[in-house]
Amino acid sequence: MIVALPFAAAGLAMLGFILVCMVRLSVGPTAADRAVALDTINTLVVATMVLLGAAFDLVVLLDVALVYALLSYVGTLYIARYLERGLS
Amino acid sequence: MTILAILQIVILILIVAGSVLAVWLKDLLASVIALAGSSLLLALQFYLLQAPDVAIAEAGVGAALTTAIFVLAIRKTQRKEEE
Repeated sequence: MIVALPFAAAGLAMLGFILVCMVRLSVGPTAADRAVALDTINTLVVATMVLLGAAFDLVVLLDVALVYALLSYVGTLYIARYLERGLS
Repeated sequence: MTILAILQIVILILIVAGSVLAVWLKDLLASVIALAGSSLLLALQFYLLQAPDVAIAEAGVGAALTTAIFVLAIRKTQRKEEE
């Protein structure tokens, strides 16, 4: 269960920011707008995971955030390379 | 209603929104981006349900592998959906 309420409230605020980014992802006119929105959502999800790891008071949960911060970079990189027509 | 329930409800609404976008968009690259965002939030939901190993697996498959393979497939075929 959640033991530290302020961290959980901050995680909820991060989810609000993710909602705003989802609006940009849905209405973005070009694919580059959507890619930047996805990258922002990636960073916000990592921040949410760190905050909720503090809220749950479990150190194990921080490993997920670390792995996610490493892996979310790859997806954005592939989309960016496709947009630059360099993906062979 | 506890704050944990509110967090889970917001994440589930966002997952549904991302999935609807992934089906609805005509541009296939935008559809792949919406699918990546949806699987990202699914990993966050697994994380909230106290399953960190499943969240790591979902992050690895959903964020890195699926996006890369779909982008490679779009590169080899065509990007816009035909009417």
